[in-house]
Amino acid sequence: MTQPPPTPSARPGISIPDLLVALALTALGVALFIGSREIPFGINAVVGPRVFPLIVSVGLTALGVLLTVSVLRGDRAEPAAEEDTDLNAPVNLGAPAIILGGFVLGAAVLTWAGFVIGTAIMYFSVAWAFGERRVGLMAGVALAVALVTYVAFTRGLGLSLPPGFLKGIL
Amino acid sequence: MDALTSLFAGFETALTPLNLLWALIGVTLGTLVGVLPGIGPALTVALLLPVTAKLPPVSAFIMFAGIYYGGMFGGSTTSILLNTPGESASIITALEGNKMARKGRAAAALATAAIGSFIAGTIGTLLLTFAAPAIADIAVQITPSAKFALIMLAFVTISATFGGSPLRGLLSLFVGLAIGLVGTDLQSGQARFALGRPELLDGIDFITVVIGLFAIGETLYVASRLRKGKGSVIKLEGGATLSKQDWRRSWGPWLRGTALGFPFGAIPAGGAEIPTFLSYTLEKRLSKHPEEFGQGAIEGVAGPEAANNASAAGVLVPLLTLGLPTSATAAILLAAFQQYGLQPGPLLFLTNGDLVWGLIASLYIGNVMLLALNLPLAPVWARLLLIPRPFLYAGILVFSTVGVYSLNNSVFDLGLLALFGVIGYGMRRFDFPVTPAIIGVVLGPTAEAQFRTALQQSNGDFSIFVRQPFTAFLMLCVLAALVVPQVLKFRARRAA
Repeated sequence: MTQPPPTPSARPGISIPDLLVALALTALGVALFIGSREIPFGINAVVGPRVFPLIVSVGLTALGVLLTVSVLRGDRAEPAAEEDTDLNAPVNLGAPAIILGGFVLGAAVLTWAGFVIGTAIMYFSVAWAFGERRVGLMAGVALAVALVTYVAFTRGLGLSLPPGFLKGIL
Repeated sequence: MDALTSLFAGFETALTPLNLLWALIGVTLGTLVGVLPGIGPALTVALLLPVTAKLPPVSAFIMFAGIYYGGMFGGSTTSILLNTPGESASIITALEGNKMARKGRAAAALATAAIGSFIAGTIGTLLLTFAAPAIADIAVQITPSAKFALIMLAFVTISATFGGSPLRGLLSLFVGLAIGLVGTDLQSGQARFALGRPELLDGIDFITVVIGLFAIGETLYVASRLRKGKGSVIKLEGGATLSKQDWRRSWGPWLRGTALGFPFGAIPAGGAEIPTFLSYTLEKRLSKHPEEFGQGAIEGVAGPEAANNASAAGVLVPLLTLGLPTSATAAILLAAFQQYGLQPGPLLFLTNGDLVWGLIASLYIGNVMLLALNLPLAPVWARLLLIPRPFLYAGILVFSTVGVYSLNNSVFDLGLLALFGVIGYGMRRFDFPVTPAIIGVVLGPTAEAQFRTALQQSNGDFSIFVRQPFTAFLMLCVLAALVVPQVLKFRARRAA
């Protein structure tokens, strides 16, 4: 799951990830173009609902091709430097996968198990992915944050969030 | 003195006890969320949208004004104490302010940032008060074709002219435009790119895109390249204060920074980055002791911070008078207006004058509140920086979920949120700027509507975009904004 970060100067040649991104953008443009042609012209309108999507899709395709060409000529993207990141650390794709997994799981059980349980699952998975391992503390904090958020938004601000099977208690 | 009369009416709206309370809650929440590392002003406003969901429009916007300025304030605190800029406009503050803090002058750095922001914000709001009605009067007469050209200009300047890579900026913009196309076409009732999903017929909620690209994208990206070990947070004893000598060295940069920042915010030039850099360079050149720059010169915090906040006020000029957002944060404010069924633009001054002027008046009030809050409470905000990263980012994800789920109470939207989170991760990893995509989503539908209206009026004659003098002039500007930077780059390369 870990790989050393590519250093631009040390590795000449074509960067495969960059190429895949460029091709994906081009493909998206083409797909939109095909989709645009299925939109009817519209009746008695000078410019129908179809024109703008055509412009956008042609533009996107053209730009995608330009990016593909520049990547083939050796251009590669510099990953962004954000807060709390270390560009020299090995890239760990396991952590984002855990976050996404936890998010999807939490979202899937949200209506059935309720907002508190669902978001507590999300909270726990992010904390785990960020390297926290004090499980008892994490579970406690996750439930506390989810509960306080739920009460604040439903009682305080009048939003409706799903109570799930805790319906009678909350 | 039309503007003054309207402004006094606005103060009557904003000074009711309840609205003052909303303004106070707004600035407090804005500062609180803005201080958190990893959350810039744009995300601050987006995450706090659900808080205002059940308020009447006037109170909601008064609170937004507080959140908007509060988020800016909070960001500078983080930059000074943590050396991690939340957004590109705070890079300079992080550079020079953190150096000051390391030398034990954190209190002075925070104070010059806070007072400078207050002065810049107040002058900026004054300029807004008098410029906005005048511009709105002219803007009423702008034709659809010129409006379309104006949006094109904003597109090009924000995505291509001032960014690092015009190609990546334009790609980001077009992806945003594509997202904006999804849903039912308002003029013909025709569904577009809805993939047969009923949830997509209403289009993709803009807030889902923003929170996905900014919050989820950021969380995924940081998790993939987490910095091991603790960031060093500067300890702060007591509130933020300025000595007499600091005052003497700060007031000039404050005023000059304001003068640079406001016009840059008011034109579509990609936000506050450029004026903060310009202000820094200018102060260095004017300084009697340029050798201090880079070592913690107070002018290097005072000027850019003022420029940053003046630009935040300047951004509101095109937003309120033309409905044209020139930064990601402004785009989110525009979306907030649209949620209430309001379309910012020249007509808003006529139809909802009390709301607009109440908002402008509360900007003054919010600025005073922020100053009162931030000088004594600086140590409290500094505490927030000590939150362990796992718990902080987990909390951001929970709040993102609330914000998106509460839009339509739909789990489908959470799936979209995850999708945009992955796209946001890719944008950070492959160096695509996020702001053009945001602007594309928000302004795309407006651009299309103006384009079609213009062509309806000309019976399909495309030459309307070059025949009207003002439109033609704007179109020339669009061309220049695309071509000139490339020519300059080419010549620089030739010379090198």
